Amino acid sequence: MKSTQYSEKVLDHFRNPRNVGTLEGENVAVGRVGNPVCGDLMEFYIKVKDDTIEDIKFKTFGCGSAIATASMITELAKGKTIEEALKITRQDVADELDGLPPIKMHCSNLAADALKDAIHNYKTKQKPKGEVPEEAKECKEGIAGVDKFIDRGVYFTVDDPTTLKDKRTMVLDRGEQSINLALELTKHTSRVVFVTPTKDISASPDLKTKLKQSDIKVLYESKILEITGVSEVEKVRIHDLNEDEEYELFIDALIIL
Amino acid sequence: MDVYLDYQSSKPVDPRVIEAMQPYFYTTFGNPSSLHSSGDKATRVLDQCRHTLADFIHAQPDEIIFTSGATESNNLSLIGYAMRNKNKGNHILISEIEHISIHNIAKYLEKNGFTVTKIPVDQYGRVGLRKIEERITEKTILISIGYANNEIGTVQPIAEIGKLCKGKGIAFHTDAVAAEGLLPLDVEKDNIDLLTLSSNDIYGPKGVGVLYGAKGFRMTPIIIGGGQENGLRSGTENIPGIVGMAKAAEIIQKEMAEEVKRFQGYRDRLIENILKTIPRSHLNGHPTERLPNNAHFRFDGIEGESLLLSLKDKGIAASTGSACSSKTLEPSHTLIALGLLHEEAHGSLEFTCGRFNRDNDIDAVLKALPEVVERLRKLSPLYK
Repeated sequence: MKSTQYSEKVLDHFRNPRNVGTLEGENVAVGRVGNPVCGDLMEFYIKVKDDTIEDIKFKTFGCGSAIATASMITELAKGKTIEEALKITRQDVADELDGLPPIKMHCSNLAADALKDAIHNYKTKQKPKGEVPEEAKECKEGIAGVDKFIDRGVYFTVDDPTTLKDKRTMVLDRGEQSINLALELTKHTSRVVFVTPTKDISASPDLKTKLKQSDIKVLYESKILEITGVSEVEKVRIHDLNEDEEYELFIDALIIL
Repeated sequence: MDVYLDYQSSKPVDPRVIEAMQPYFYTTFGNPSSLHSSGDKATRVLDQCRHTLADFIHAQPDEIIFTSGATESNNLSLIGYAMRNKNKGNHILISEIEHISIHNIAKYLEKNGFTVTKIPVDQYGRVGLRKIEERITEKTILISIGYANNEIGTVQPIAEIGKLCKGKGIAFHTDAVAAEGLLPLDVEKDNIDLLTLSSNDIYGPKGVGVLYGAKGFRMTPIIIGGGQENGLRSGTENIPGIVGMAKAAEIIQKEMAEEVKRFQGYRDRLIENILKTIPRSHLNGHPTERLPNNAHFRFDGIEGESLLLSLKDKGIAASTGSACSSKTLEPSHTLIALGLLHEEAHGSLEFTCGRFNRDNDIDAVLKALPEVVERLRKLSPLYK
């Protein structure tokens, strides 16, 4: 069976998803599972009254089955008590959709988990996972291989931004001056990645807006672990503090102001 | 009728090719190894086809080995050459963005005593000469770099790599499948020693391919039997398939210049309009050094399989590098090598046009795509 061979019911929910959106206010809890790195991210919003799910909304980044399962579970859960809703399994969702391709059963069938997360958060009155991690330590330290690549892709100052023309440049968060540099670099290269260990950037509202409107890719809650290459910088290994995962990214230059 | 813009995945066989193949199933069915007249006929036509394919890439007829397709050609060139020449060294270089068949052959060679080093590419997917040079060791015997990339369409500086390899006395293999029929191929001028071709990629039948092996570049066969193709590829020749591939090469040689101009028009219309009308859309691959028929995009905040499904609903066939549509559930290694994050690679969409596309196919995409992207972004928690 091909990964995209979906039942009519799946396709219906993909084409016309039910209960898309978000909820706010009292008695609302949010659940979040998945990770955009894997290709699926699901957010559920539930509004609970007298232990019953009065309203439910979702947002999904993901493939066809991710969207369809999320949509289906909103229909299943609406009006149920939270105890009943907790009993909805991945298999229930798949069955209601007349089945899912086997390869999708695990990767894109996160709806039941996300709903459980939302209910759990309602019960414990918690916010979704991913709170601010502890502030990162001194920047240069802790990055293996830095010394090998000084002036071979690792720079502590940038006197002439044109030297970085068309280079995939990573800028480490060192306060407002590093944000200004990152913005300046977008005039010379289409690829600027800004890495910060924090969940939010501390800068003036004006600068934050500029950063948000730019093409700069911001990696929040991320730490550079290691730089690798032959004679110059080619790759960095990054630790995603929120997900506690490591991955590699191809770059040409790293700026640590 | 659906709009088909996925020519890199599969191409229809040109009706003229089918017509040329027809007599070789029933009327002229001989085995070239037989000594009777039916066998002689087959020998003659095989010979003609060998000349046509040699001419197609500026090679000599005895340098053409017919195979069952590009995968076999890649296997024969890498495994066959490495095994035969292991006394000279055990180191092989390939790029980070080679086709999956090359990557998996490399893994096989690593298990059999060879060392394979990957060459990184720049943000547009080009291999730099310096990055190759600094990886060459005394033990390097073979460098394999695809002529052009089948996903992002970036074309490599083949002539320069060929010159570098020649100067160092290292064999140079290139998988030219993505480029054949779109760019003129000249193994002599570009110092290419081994080159992979596929029949289907020039509108010939599937199941046929060619490995060009320059004189003096000896290989060990990987398929053993009756000694056909100079002992390098045993098995009774697939005459109808070979005739089809030769006919396809003949047609494309005549029509390429005109055809490519048309594709370029389609490609440029897609790129210009999509980047202009869809916010936060990006072009993957090289802005100028790219295949004339390839337009490869990524859209922030959405996932490729959803895009494909939505386009399918509107009767449009395209392709994606997203993990959700792959067998391994990993995003395309090519997109990762460009320096993209996984979530960016997931949002990719590839259009490749071909011989049977017309202007209104492009119209259909330009009409459908902005709506589709907007709808999926409304659903997405990543696009705010």
